[in-house]
Amino acid sequence: MSEKFSQDKLDRCISCGYCLPACPTYQLTGAEESSPRGRITLMRAVQSGTLEPENLLAESGFCLGCRACEPVCPAGVEYGVLLEEAREILWQGKNQPLIIRGLFLIVGNKLGMKLLGLLSPMAKERKSNPELHLMLGCFERRLYPDVSKAAAKLAPEVSVCKEQGCCGALHAHNGELEKGKEMARQLGEQLSGTIITTAGGCAAHLSSVIGRDRVKEFSEYWSTKDSSVSKVQINGRTIRVGLQDSCHLRNGMGVTQEPREILKQLGEYVEIPNAGGCCGAAGSYSLLQKRNSRKVVSQKVNDIKALNLDYVATVNPGCTRQLVTELRRAKVKTKVIHLAELVAMGTK
Amino acid sequence: MIKDLQSLIGAENVRSDSVALSAYSHDATPLFNGLPEVIVTPQSTSDVVKIVKYAAQTKTPIIPRGAGSNLCAATVPLKGGIVLSLTSMNKVLEVNKAEMLAVVQPGVTNLELDQLVEKENLRFVPDPGSRNVSTIGGNVATSAGGLRGLKYGTTKNYILGLEAVLGTGEVVRTGGRLVKDVAGYDVTRLLVGSEGTLAVFTEITVALVPRPTDSKYGVAYFDDLAAAAACVDSIISSGVLPSTLEFLDNTCLVAVEEFANLGLDIKAGALLLFGDDGEGDVVAQTVEKMAEIAKKASGIRGVTLAQDVAAAEALLYARRCSLPALARLGTLSILEDIAVPRPAMAAVVKRIEAIGEKHHLRIGTFGHAGDGNLHPTIVINKDDAEEVVKAEKALKEIFALAIEFNGTITGEHGVGSAKLPFLEKKVGKANMDLQRSIKSVFDPANILNPNRLGS
Repeated sequence: MSEKFSQDKLDRCISCGYCLPACPTYQLTGAEESSPRGRITLMRAVQSGTLEPENLLAESGFCLGCRACEPVCPAGVEYGVLLEEAREILWQGKNQPLIIRGLFLIVGNKLGMKLLGLLSPMAKERKSNPELHLMLGCFERRLYPDVSKAAAKLAPEVSVCKEQGCCGALHAHNGELEKGKEMARQLGEQLSGTIITTAGGCAAHLSSVIGRDRVKEFSEYWSTKDSSVSKVQINGRTIRVGLQDSCHLRNGMGVTQEPREILKQLGEYVEIPNAGGCCGAAGSYSLLQKRNSRKVVSQKVNDIKALNLDYVATVNPGCTRQLVTELRRAKVKTKVIHLAELVAMGTK
Repeated sequence: MIKDLQSLIGAENVRSDSVALSAYSHDATPLFNGLPEVIVTPQSTSDVVKIVKYAAQTKTPIIPRGAGSNLCAATVPLKGGIVLSLTSMNKVLEVNKAEMLAVVQPGVTNLELDQLVEKENLRFVPDPGSRNVSTIGGNVATSAGGLRGLKYGTTKNYILGLEAVLGTGEVVRTGGRLVKDVAGYDVTRLLVGSEGTLAVFTEITVALVPRPTDSKYGVAYFDDLAAAAACVDSIISSGVLPSTLEFLDNTCLVAVEEFANLGLDIKAGALLLFGDDGEGDVVAQTVEKMAEIAKKASGIRGVTLAQDVAAAEALLYARRCSLPALARLGTLSILEDIAVPRPAMAAVVKRIEAIGEKHHLRIGTFGHAGDGNLHPTIVINKDDAEEVVKAEKALKEIFALAIEFNGTITGEHGVGSAKLPFLEKKVGKANMDLQRSIKSVFDPANILNPNRLGS
């Protein structure tokens, strides 16, 4: 556990406030402390000893960690890293949320990962190009096995190795930064060459540790392939489809155009208002901060409803789960589907 | 005090926990901070009246605050008191196309307002670099400028009327909805730029203009900033009045390019961004004319025109990001805001360079060349005490330089706490005494942003 923030990262912020309009929690409260700039002010106060670290606890939990503040920050503040450091300092001992403790237990060891994959109808083990590997994810392999199956079917050149651990994003985002980095390094050693992932959150974490050149998120990879798809039809007409960006894919890796270009080939593409804004899933956030998570997503549910879409495509399992749950609750008929599955429908 | 305020405006609008106090301890100005005693978020004019009356009775300082993006420490609670955060009063009450005006609450952001009136093909002209976050209330309080000053003026030219709460708790309405209105002293104009020391704005009537249908931009590279400044002089002497004439020196240019990746020529000593807006042919002609003048200017390295709107927007955005991009070069950047008569600019930028060399400081200068407004920015290491002292010396010399050339110590950022020690040098004693007298009339208990401007 580290006691302090990286001073050079704190120094980057000049408090200009350009991040405020981009921050979903600031939009909810209008309170300075719920903004990236405000939180950095608090971190600085903790760093200099004028504020007790415990005071940061509430805001470190309220922040989604969506990193929407990063692309709009001209000073180049790495807010995501600072938040990870804050949680590493604070989310220890009694302050570690019980849910997180449970999740760590599952994904942090081989047995847990094995159990998650047990009897799951995910992609089958196979040896193809030894320098191309499909990542199966942790909870994704349990909750959405069809995603890896679709990706494997679409890219037969990619090897699938079932004996693979979790990328460690969950740990890194929830107070175990070093362990999270170690898990990413291990996965990087286990799977040689380029790792293809269907989860934007995993892609961003993995690439931050093992290198951007070694990681390709599915839409990025698919865009480099010379493959054509046809329009997906429903009741004899082309589908209307929108996209929910993955925050870390967008804000951490700068991937925004690829999934949109693919969707334009698959159907009538409709840009959902604020598609790049967080859906409130934010990794474990939807479990830890249920009420706030729902507040964040509420406008998005209304927007999707108003667009009368057939599908919302996702590029990260957390977003899938959040939108499935919330659209169902609001009785919106739009189906939520991972981009890879939709591509598979367009290549039949 | 906390309980009193809670009973006045509701517990949910009063915060005094150490987290909130810490978060509101500074604004965008480096080196200034101080803890407030309480943060209140009024929801209406009557809430503001209650708070101000209470503060007047108890002699508690009130620091009105919008987005806290000002660069002159105008909203740092240096002596405790109540931070009056107006961001919850953020409704646009009216957009009137026939009268070409809008009525807004102070917490609406500049960009929100402009995007809303765009639907009516109108524009809210003032466009400070912070426009995506700064509030109209804050813009009025500092008479914010921006990139369009030369052709269109600044905030002070676009405020028709105000509803404001004086230091006594009285509500006054000033001006109105008219372009012509000389009934009484121009109190509106007095309140614009008053930095929260005379009254708290609760409703603002702004003038709008038709949104130009076309715009065009180009970039000219020069050997140094003085050559770019001289070119600006030639452009304006030729009789054109363009909307945009912005320049950056090499230090800024490199920093901006690193952030924005626009393919700018980072070997050039200076970049001049020129452009105009209006109707198709006229705009094209003006921009062509400027390009021709630039091509013949001394010290010119090359001229290119932006191919499309996206390229032009990218250039403007990059220019707006000069300061934060510069900040990447060190741990502390002190941004200044002098303005000088345009013909003096070339001489002044040379003198600024000399000041930097003399003190061995890195000074990046960018600015609104069209209106003589320069932003020399000193980038230093905040932990290097010696460098901080040198920076302070350099700042004083820069202020003196501005005054020497009949300029001002602040063109658009405001005085706040940061430049108050230099104000009297700029305006003179008699003017300063007058400002103090004015302050005592509007705010006899001296509770509104005390220790600033005429306090």
